[in-house]
Amino acid sequence: MKDNAKPQRPQSRGLSAVWQARLAMLVMINVAQLWILSAAVEAALAQTYSQLAPLVIASGICWLIALSIFLWWRPAGEGGRRY
Amino acid sequence: MNSKAFHQETIKKILAVDNEISDEVNVRTATAPFQAEFPYERDSEAQVTRREFCNFLFLTSSALFLGAAGFAGKSAYDARSPKIFTPAKIDGAMSIEPGSALNFVYPSEEDTAILIRGIDGTYAAFGQKCTHLSCPVYYSQATDRLECPCHNGGFSPKTGEVLYGPPPRPLDKIELETINGEIFAVKREVRDNEG
Repeated sequence: MKDNAKPQRPQSRGLSAVWQARLAMLVMINVAQLWILSAAVEAALAQTYSQLAPLVIASGICWLIALSIFLWWRPAGEGGRRY
Repeated sequence: MNSKAFHQETIKKILAVDNEISDEVNVRTATAPFQAEFPYERDSEAQVTRREFCNFLFLTSSALFLGAAGFAGKSAYDARSPKIFTPAKIDGAMSIEPGSALNFVYPSEEDTAILIRGIDGTYAAFGQKCTHLSCPVYYSQATDRLECPCHNGGFSPKTGEVLYGPPPRPLDKIELETINGEIFAVKREVRDNEG
């Protein structure tokens, strides 16, 4: 019973993995948004305005995913601890 | 020791272990006296905590979204704002030699245009922004074409139609009128692929 109560390895390793995953996802989202921004600039310069709305919506979806990662996708049991 | 006290003790131990193995504790703490005035060391200057990096990435995401939305909004607003065309005299148009060109603006200062006098003496005017990525086109006397130097696009100097290259549609057409021996621009038309 006592052995089960103690963690077999430092808990921070699991938390670090979650943190790395969050950062990796945010980096990928930033890369996608950078591509979307360049596509929007190109569409505006070419005066193909019909492409602008889908690109802005896609960028907004990416931002919402980033917001959810930033606010809610936290390691279970992290609580108020700071890393 | 009761169960609640045992769990609290366990949590304290875990936290203590975390603080020992974490590489992100006290990275911002100034220790040397000079750091009060210049609180960075060369080694620690490059260190960024995961939380700071996460904040930075989220702020970058927000900035990219706002940038895309703002750029698209401004472009759409500019495109929808009505253009008022009033006849404008093109200064110096009558003095250009056949087979040469003259740059001017119409209808506003931002709308650059190019007036071409063909070898046969006829005049034609088009918007100077390439329809690919808005680079300025120029008249090549050697090839008798309007050429875009950015991505090698080519346009007809008589009709503004695409001859080759990546531009997707013809140049904006500017209608000309001759009034009292002077050349006036009277209208600017954005054309699609059908011309």
